[in-house]
Amino acid sequence: MIEMIEDTEAETTLDLPRFGTCTFRDSEVLTFPWGLPGFAGLRRFLALHLDGQENFVWLQSLDDITVALPTTDPYSLFPDYNPQLPLYASSSLDIQRPEEFILLGVVVVGPGAEAMTMNLLAPVVINLRTRVARQITLETGGYAVRTAIPRKAAPTPAGA
Amino acid sequence: MLVLSRKLNQAIMIGDDVRVVIVAVDRDTVKLGIEAPRTIPVHRVEVYEEIQRTNRAAAGEPAKPTERAKVADLGRGRRPPAPNPKGG
Repeated sequence: MIEMIEDTEAETTLDLPRFGTCTFRDSEVLTFPWGLPGFAGLRRFLALHLDGQENFVWLQSLDDITVALPTTDPYSLFPDYNPQLPLYASSSLDIQRPEEFILLGVVVVGPGAEAMTMNLLAPVVINLRTRVARQITLETGGYAVRTAIPRKAAPTPAGA
Repeated sequence: MLVLSRKLNQAIMIGDDVRVVIVAVDRDTVKLGIEAPRTIPVHRVEVYEEIQRTNRAAAGEPAKPTERAKVADLGRGRRPPAPNPKGG
């Protein structure tokens, strides 16, 4: 059987401590040119999800494979979330159109997974066109770094 | 660290476009006025440190092997509102 190879982009396979074997292409790598607070030296990440856990996106560092942060779509858990991105977000990320970027909220799973919080003050903003991302601190809205996720709404990320 | 003494209403320039003014001094509290381009984020350091701690806590769960993960399709889901070009 002959496989048609239309895409010649090289694939990389890594053995990740949390997720096992993972194969990705260069074009799927997210770049954080300003680092991620707390992990300033880490620039390259993959957005991974587990089968059956598509709501959770893990930001898996490629520079330190022991580092992975669970995130999720803030709107699905907080329907009233209405962040006003500061101008430095759109200028530094070269965001030209609303449809070319998404937000992810960093989730902290407490001991025993009973207390989950989301960082609504500083969402991770990803430009899908350039694959460049930055964690942006909002200047308005009064959002908190650790906002409790309503229990009913909270799925637990496997592996956390 | 560069240390400068300033009196009330005096200012310092950082580069060509960031100006920091001493607006008020009351015992151990100093009020600063900061004029910077909207493209430069300005935040209290405690906020940044809390975000750092929270990111480390999020990643802090002991890694244990689970099912194989796939690269996520980030293009789905609801869209956030467009950034306001006037800022804020």
